[in-house]
Amino acid sequence: MNHIKRIIKKILGKKILFYYNQIKRVSINVYSHENKVISIFKSIKNIRVYNSKNKIVSLSKLFENIKINKITNKNDNFYYDIDFFKMMNTPNSVIGNLCLDYSKILNNSLEDVKKHLNNKNIEFYNTEFETINIIEKYIDKIVKLNSKNITVCTNLSNIKNNKASSFQEALQRILFFNMLLWQTNHRLNGLGRLDKILIEYYNNDIESGVLTEEMVKNLLKEFLLLLHKDYKFKSNSLLGDTGQIIELGGIDKTGKYLCNDLTYMFIELMEELKLPDPKVLVRVSKNMPRKLMEKSLECIQTGIGCPLFANDDVIIDKLINFGYDKEDAYNYGTSACWEPYIIGKSSAQNNIKSLNFMFPLNELLEKENLNKITNFEILLKTYNNYLERYVNNLISDLKKITFEQDPFLSLFIDDCIKNGKDISLGGAKYNDFGLTGVALSNVVNSLVNIKDFVFDKNKMTLIEFNEIRKNDFEKNEAFLKKLKNNGPKYGEDDDFIINLSNNIINFASSIFENKKNILGGKYKFGLSSPNYITDSKTSPASFDGRKNGEPFNVHISTDVSNGYTGLINFAGKLDYNANRFNGNVVDFFVTPNFINDNFDKFVDFLMASIKVGFFEMQMNVVSSAKLIEARKNPEKFPNLVVRVWGFSAYFNDLPDDYKDYLIERALKNESHS
Amino acid sequence: MKAIVSNIQRFCLHDGPGIRTTVFFKGCNLRCPWCSNPENIDFNIQEYEEDGELLHYGYEISLEELEKEILKDKLYYEENGGVTFSGGDGLIQFKKIEPLLKNLKKDNINICVETSLVVSEELVDIAIKYVDTFLVDLKILNQNDANKINTDVSLYKQNVKKLFDNHCNVIFRIPLVPEYTYTDSNIEEILKFLQEYKPKLVQVFKLHRLGEKKYKTLNKKMPEFKNITDEEINSFMNKIKELKINVEYCKI
Ligand code: SF4
Repeated sequence: MNHIKRIIKKILGKKILFYYNQIKRVSINVYSHENKVISIFKSIKNIRVYNSKNKIVSLSKLFENIKINKITNKNDNFYYDIDFFKMMNTPNSVIGNLCLDYSKILNNSLEDVKKHLNNKNIEFYNTEFETINIIEKYIDKIVKLNSKNITVCTNLSNIKNNKASSFQEALQRILFFNMLLWQTNHRLNGLGRLDKILIEYYNNDIESGVLTEEMVKNLLKEFLLLLHKDYKFKSNSLLGDTGQIIELGGIDKTGKYLCNDLTYMFIELMEELKLPDPKVLVRVSKNMPRKLMEKSLECIQTGIGCPLFANDDVIIDKLINFGYDKEDAYNYGTSACWEPYIIGKSSAQNNIKSLNFMFPLNELLEKENLNKITNFEILLKTYNNYLERYVNNLISDLKKITFEQDPFLSLFIDDCIKNGKDISLGGAKYNDFGLTGVALSNVVNSLVNIKDFVFDKNKMTLIEFNEIRKNDFEKNEAFLKKLKNNGPKYGEDDDFIINLSNNIINFASSIFENKKNILGGKYKFGLSSPNYITDSKTSPASFDGRKNGEPFNVHISTDVSNGYTGLINFAGKLDYNANRFNGNVVDFFVTPNFINDNFDKFVDFLMASIKVGFFEMQMNVVSSAKLIEARKNPEKFPNLVVRVWGFSAYFNDLPDDYKDYLIERALKNESHS
Repeated sequence: MKAIVSNIQRFCLHDGPGIRTTVFFKGCNLRCPWCSNPENIDFNIQEYEEDGELLHYGYEISLEELEKEILKDKLYYEENGGVTFSGGDGLIQFKKIEPLLKNLKKDNINICVETSLVVSEELVDIAIKYVDTFLVDLKILNQNDANKINTDVSLYKQNVKKLFDNHCNVIFRIPLVPEYTYTDSNIEEILKFLQEYKPKLVQVFKLHRLGEKKYKTLNKKMPEFKNITDEEINSFMNKIKELKINVEYCKI
C-alpha cells in the first residue's frame, strides 16, 4: 500500500494523494458491503471537497454544507455525527496525532476563548474569531434540527456560553470536539486523561443523585461505542490505527498515585465491550494500588491487547530533563500509540518519520571497502559515520514539510493565542518532532554476529560473510540457523548488549542534539515503531539471520528464551535520557493459560517490572493455535482482537503479512515455555 | 570453585513460592525410570549430537558468575521469591557452593532446594544452615521396591528426620507412577509417613514425557508407564486431606 502511495505522490502530487486517501476511507467505511469498484465509484460521486485559498472560506463552506442529522432514537444521549462526504482540501500536512486539553475545554465556553483573542496579530485574531463563529453557527444548526431532544440541545448550546456542568454534558462536549477534529481532516485524535478530567462531574452527579453508577456506566458505554463506530474511516494505513487513546491513572507532583472509580469503570468497559478502539493506556507507578494492576491484567487477559502500560516513574523525569515544564510533564498523555505528548500544549508531530537503524548498515555494506574494517571498533565507528549521514538526511527531508494552516487547532492548543501565531507556524508552546526507531535490534544482533564469526572466532572474512548475506543465505541453512540462535542478543540483560545498544542510541541522540526543526522545536526519537514490516520489505538480508524482506524485530522484544524478566531488565537498562523518550515499548506474547495459572505471580511480576524500570509495555495474550485457526477460518473469529504497533485491531482486518508475523511470534513464545 | 549446571531458568513460577530462578545442577544418586531430566543424572558434562552438531549437557560456571545470574532477577523476588536449586539433585553440589549460599543469605535471597534427600549427611547439614524451603521427593519407602530406583530408604528417612528435628520448612512432592510409587502398599506407607511428620504441604503430580527427546539424545529410551486417572489422583489426595494435611495437585 505504501508503495502505491509513494508513487501517487510522486507522479500526481500531494493533492491527488489527499483525494486518494479520502476516497479510500469513505469507501471502506460507508460502502464496505459493496463491491470494491462500486464502492470507490460511489465515494467519488458523493464526496464534496471545499477548496479555497482562504482557510476561513473553506471552513465556513464546509460547515455550511455538512449534513446534520436528526437524532432518531429518543434514548440517544449524545449527538455525534461525522459527515464523511464533506471535507476541506488539505494537501499539506495537517497537524494531528495529538490531544486537546479537554479539561480546559470543559471549563471554558467558546465565548471565554474569544475573550483571550487579542490584537497582537490582527490577521490571526480575525481568523480565530471567524473560526469560533463558524463553530457556533454549526452548533445552532444542530440544535435547531434537534430541538425536541432538550438535554442534548442544552449541552450543545452551552459550549458557546457556559462551562460544562454535568457528567453527560462533559461527555457530549468531548464528543463534539472530537467530531470537529475528524470533520476537519485531523487524524489520530487522542482523548486524554478521562478519569482525571471527568471525576469532578461524576462525583457531583452521583452525590446530588442525578446519576447512579449504573447510569454512568451506560453513558460511558454509549460514549465509547460512538467513538468506535466509524473506526474504519478513522483508521490510518492499518484498520484500528485511529489514535483514539484514553490515558488512565498516573502520579501527581508529590508522587501520589491518582485513580478513581472511573479508572476502574473504563477498564471494566474495555473488558466488557472487547473493542479494539478506543484504546486505553494505564500510567503505572510503583505507588499504584495493586488492585488496579489486577484489574488491568484481567482486561489484558481477555486478549484485547490493552491497556498498554506507561511507567510514570521513568517517563516523567525524562520529559522534565528534556525541557518540558514540570506541571506539563506530570500531565503527559501520548500521541496515537505511545509517544509521550504534552496534552493541549504541543504541536508535536511524534511519528513524523521512521528512524531505521538498519538502513545505514545496508549503505555501509554497499559502499564501504570491507577490507578496511579489520576489527570491531572500526566497524562500529564506520557504522556511526553512516548513521550520522543518514540522520542528517532525515533532518533535511523534514525541513521540506509544510503544514496546513490550522485556525481550529490554534484556538485550543497553548500558546497559539498568546503568541498570536498559527500552530502550523510554530505557535504552540512545544514544537518538537518525534521519530520512531526501528530495527535497532536487528542491527545489534548483526554486529554481534560479525564480531563473533569474523573478528573473534576468525571463521571467515567480513567480505565472505557479506557474500553469504547478499545471497540471502542460500544453501547455507545450517549457518543461518546458527546466526539466528547466536547470543547474546538484543533484549537480553547482558552487559555487552546493553552497552552496545546504549552506545548506538547515545550517538544517534548526539546527532539530533542542537538541531532545530522548522517550527523551532527539537527532535526526539524512541525505540518502537510501526515500520517493522513496511520498512523491511525493501531491506536485504541482514547478519542477524533475517532473510531478504523478512520483518524486523518488533519494538523492544526478544526471541530468546530467557524469560520475561531478562527482557524487562534489558529495557530497564536502556538509556532513555536526553531526546530518546519518543515511545519505548516492550512487546511480548503470553499464552492465556500462563496468566490463568499464575495470575497472582504475574501481577507480582508486573509490579516488580515497574521498579526495574521499563518505559512502556504491551502484550498479546493469545495462543498460536487460535491465531492459526483464525487465519484459516476468519468467519469463525469476527471478534478476535490482537495487538499490533501500539493499538489493538481486529485480527481479520489485518493484512496477511501482519497475521503471519503474529503467528510466528506466538509460536516462538510457546516454544520456550 | 566451579559448579556444573545444565541450565539456569529464570522466571520460574512453579518451583517454590514467588518468582524464582531455578538452577539445574548435574548429578543425582537415584535412577528413577520416569525422570524428566535424564541429562542431569550423570555428574559430568556429557556430549550429545543434534542435527549433526556436537552439543553438551552441562557446563562449568564459577560461583561468582552463578551469583550474578541469580541476582539478575533480585527485584522480582520480593519477599518470598528467590532461587531454587534443582537438578538432578539440588543438594548434590552444596559443599562446593557453600560460599555462594552464604552470599545469597547475606543478600536476603530466599533459597529453595529440590532434592531426593538421598545424599550424605554432610550435605544436609550444610543445607540446614541456608535453605528456607526444602522440596523433598517422597517416592518409595519400602527398601525392596526402592532398589528399583537405586534409593536408600534408611538414609532418606534419617535425613528427613534431621530436617524436622531442625524445624526446617519441608514440602513433600509425590510423583504418581502406577508401577512404582502408586502401589497399594506404598500408598499405605506414604500415608503413615505423612501422618508421622505432618508437613505443611504435600504436592502430587503426574509424570510427563517432555523429557523424551532428551532420552533419545542420550541413546536411552524413556519407558512407557501406565496412565493414572484423575479419580485415582483425587482419591489419593483425599486420603491425605483426611490426615488434615494440605495437599495440592501440580500441573506442569
Ligand atoms: S531423583 Fe529426580 S533427578 Fe534423580 S533420577 Fe529421580 S527423578 Fe531424576
